[in-house]
Amino acid sequence: MPTDPPPTDPSAPGFVAIERAGYRYEAGGPAVVDGVDWAIPRGEIHCLLGRSGCGKTTLLKLAAGLLLPSEGAIRIAGEALRGPSPRAGFVFQAPTLLDWLSALDNVLLPVSLKRRPTAAERAAARDLLARVGLADLAERRPRELSGGQRSRVAVARALIGAPDLLLLDEPFAALDALTREELQDDLLRLCALHGTTALFVTHDIGEAVYLGDRVAVMAGGRLTQARRIALPRPRPPALRYTPVFAAACRALREAMDGEAGPASRRPAA
Amino acid sequence: MTARLPSLLLLLILLAGWEGWCRFGGLSPLVLPPPSAVLATLGGEIASGRLWPHLAVTAAEMGLGLGIGALVGLGTGILLAEVPALSRLLRPYVLASQLVPKLALGPLFIIWFGFGMTPTIVITALICFFPLMETTLTGLGEVDAARRDLFRMLGASRLQTLLRLKLPAALPVIMAGLRVAVVLALVGAVVGEFIGGRSGLGASIIAAQSVMDSSLIFALFIVITALGMLLYEAVRLVERRVLHRFSKG
Repeated sequence: MPTDPPPTDPSAPGFVAIERAGYRYEAGGPAVVDGVDWAIPRGEIHCLLGRSGCGKTTLLKLAAGLLLPSEGAIRIAGEALRGPSPRAGFVFQAPTLLDWLSALDNVLLPVSLKRRPTAAERAAARDLLARVGLADLAERRPRELSGGQRSRVAVARALIGAPDLLLLDEPFAALDALTREELQDDLLRLCALHGTTALFVTHDIGEAVYLGDRVAVMAGGRLTQARRIALPRPRPPALRYTPVFAAACRALREAMDGEAGPASRRPAA
Repeated sequence: MTARLPSLLLLLILLAGWEGWCRFGGLSPLVLPPPSAVLATLGGEIASGRLWPHLAVTAAEMGLGLGIGALVGLGTGILLAEVPALSRLLRPYVLASQLVPKLALGPLFIIWFGFGMTPTIVITALICFFPLMETTLTGLGEVDAARRDLFRMLGASRLQTLLRLKLPAALPVIMAGLRVAVVLALVGAVVGEFIGGRSGLGASIIAAQSVMDSSLIFALFIVITALGMLLYEAVRLVERRVLHRFSKG
């Protein structure tokens, strides 16, 4: 059961604090995540950018409490994680919907695992579906939805419990560019609505710049770069095609080229 | 119906060929009775009412054996899938128990349970157990890691994960195992009766053989086949209902 967070210390490093976190699949084996320090203040969206196999998904699972760090600690509101955090919503690479439930029941899954959903909760789920543009498709099964629509259901499901923290693992990577942009806008709107803190893993520089208040670059299990994205919020869709945006992407790309970790240190997973 | 027309036509051609071969091929009706004689025998058995008690016995053995075997197989599959340590411990024994030719256990079961329905039900259950256990074990193990992570993230208990994720996801595979088990159940019931049955379709075949009534044997084949197809179709119907509910599309 979630306990009330301790009073927030103004000097606390951040709502989410990753403190020298390391992870190895086996003791003495290579570190997949290696001494990562990171802090996310409440309400900010941070992006974790890196190539496949750089350890970013593992770091995200550490932040979720799905994996426990071999070294260091992860704190959410000052409390060290000891298991999957009930305050966090997770959006996986694949939508991971249950094929035998309607879109509405999929969104309600986090609730229905705890109790029978009330009328108010059902209304909240319908409202979330409407906010991701699926108002008319609530009764459809996942197989009857397009890839983009399934991803929208997955985002709505992660938000149903009004989590303090949203963790996203390349959720839009398999979608076409236009659908991806729409979903990015939906996500920004939904996060702004409740001031949700988010950690978004991606391999797409443009996506990281568009979504993030701050972008960390990961290579070989370490954070090699961190940049604050000085673009105003709310960010209009057309921002993607402005010179400022392109400049931010280029700067990030150059930073990645300049300081990417040596390839030989990249773990296999 | 039109889709089945070619199959039906083929049946008629085969029956006509068989009839012709028996009439003009100089074959002894003792070796191969013509279909007309088989049908006449079947009609006689149905009309006299001698067939029904035997049919009921075999259907009951098959149904009970299938039901018990399937439930125990499903339960064992769930247990072995949920407790990997138990699986490592018991797998070799479970496998060995299935490699023992179960029909060869018939004489032993007659000593244990006496003549009658019980040994046949036990044999049928033993035969039906394995496909259900195997498919349950496979199906539950194949649930993808991301969905299991999702349930962990949502704080689902082990029982909830089993009932609300693993079993529904594994249902198509488990239902395929049930279909295999239905076919095996019929073999189990009929052959079990060969060994220890006093009544039932299998026992009737043995009785017909002892009086060299080959047209009765053929008539019983037809009844057994019809029984099997009926039960198979019933399971298909259940399967379609269940899959429609749990993994549409």
